Amino acid sequence: MAEKMMVVDDARVVRVSLGKIMQSLGFEVIACEDGQQAMQAILENPDVRLIMLDWHMPVMNGYDFLVRLREMPEHSSSPLVVMVTTEASMPSMMKALSAGADEYIMKPFDASLIKSKLDLLGVAYKE
Amino acid sequence: MQTPQFEFMRDFLLQQSGLVVEESKMYLLRTRLQPLLKEHSIATLNELADRLKKDRNSRLARQVVDAMTTNETLFFRDQYPFDALRDVMLPQCASSPVRIWSAASSTGQEAYSIAMIAAEALGGKGKRVEIAGTDISDQALTKAAGGTYTQMEVQRGMPARLLIKYFEQDGSNWRLKPEIRNMVRFGPANLVSPTLSSEMRGKGPFDIVFCRNVLIYFNVGARLQVIDNLAACMKDSGYLVTGAAEIPKGNKSRWEAVHFGNRNLWRLVAR
Ligand SMILES: C[S@@+](CC[C@H](N)C(=O)[O-])C[C@H]1O[C@@H](n2cnc3c(N)ncnc32)[C@H](O)[C@@H]1O
Repeated sequence: MAEKMMVVDDARVVRVSLGKIMQSLGFEVIACEDGQQAMQAILENPDVRLIMLDWHMPVMNGYDFLVRLREMPEHSSSPLVVMVTTEASMPSMMKALSAGADEYIMKPFDASLIKSKLDLLGVAYKE
Repeated sequence: MQTPQFEFMRDFLLQQSGLVVEESKMYLLRTRLQPLLKEHSIATLNELADRLKKDRNSRLARQVVDAMTTNETLFFRDQYPFDALRDVMLPQCASSPVRIWSAASSTGQEAYSIAMIAAEALGGKGKRVEIAGTDISDQALTKAAGGTYTQMEVQRGMPARLLIKYFEQDGSNWRLKPEIRNMVRFGPANLVSPTLSSEMRGKGPFDIVFCRNVLIYFNVGARLQVIDNLAACMKDSGYLVTGAAEIPKGNKSRWEAVHFGNRNLWRLVAR
């Protein structure tokens, strides 16, 4: 059965393009537009394996979502979280990793970059 | 391009760099050399061939080799060689400094990946590591020595944790910290040169040699010569890492295969 993953981004183009890449790699994709929707989605789907998370979003941003997620005892280390953001500074990267992000992608991305990060995380995907 | 000139170019590239250009790849000569023709105001490939005949060692000749080689590379390319470095090869090297050679280093990502792994594995253990990066391409070497990469280049294959630890941000680019840059020395070397081992004498002999994704461009004769050249620069029982299927069959008696997962490393067991 396909593993579940979430794409959280307020930009529709990103939800679509990243969602397509992840689907082609064999994942079942749940798309959310902000951190609050993502919070709801994770409660309904606690078995999600991976979240690709934008930083800047309305309502609840990706960083705040990450902090809250990792505060939940059952989510302190899973799902894996990959920040996917235009935020390309060293301090933001450090901040996200110390809040519990597992990897970090600075936009723009392409399929080969996504795959290489999945490799680093030991997440299997369909070629 | 006329046939004698094509044959000249083909032989020129083979002798200068080991590179094989099939007749069916003639279009490659055209597309890759076009910018050079412009730069030197040379009208045709035939004219270029004539100029090279007169002087095989000119800057132009080096630029031709440069333009025809593929410099594509990645940090932590294929991952397993770097896992093997950390788990098998480095722990087996008793000497200090451990000498490692990235023998077709291109723009430096392989040599710096080795340096980061070594820094992670040996940091604080007092063992030193010296890395030599060599290539036939001057352009690639210049970029390698600068140690500065674009955002795209530093992301594929690179764990974010290592990016934070070993790089500094330089505008929109990323530059390796001096502690990593200082572990690596870059310089020119031609793998098919008969005098390679004497040229490398000051830097070796090496405990570990990475020679990856370059032999595939050579014919079997040149591959065998390169592997002999490398062996002459290595310590007994030294490790050689090639790309998959790059080491030609007839040469395996002096090399012992060391299995790492479903891949092989090679160990020099006889001279
Ligand atoms: C595809 S890159 C491989 C870089 C790196 N080893 C890797 O695996 O990612 C091949 C490099 O081999 C270099 N090269 C080609 N012929 C060579 C020769 N005869 N001697 C030294 N380097 C050579 C090219 O300039 C190029 O930088």
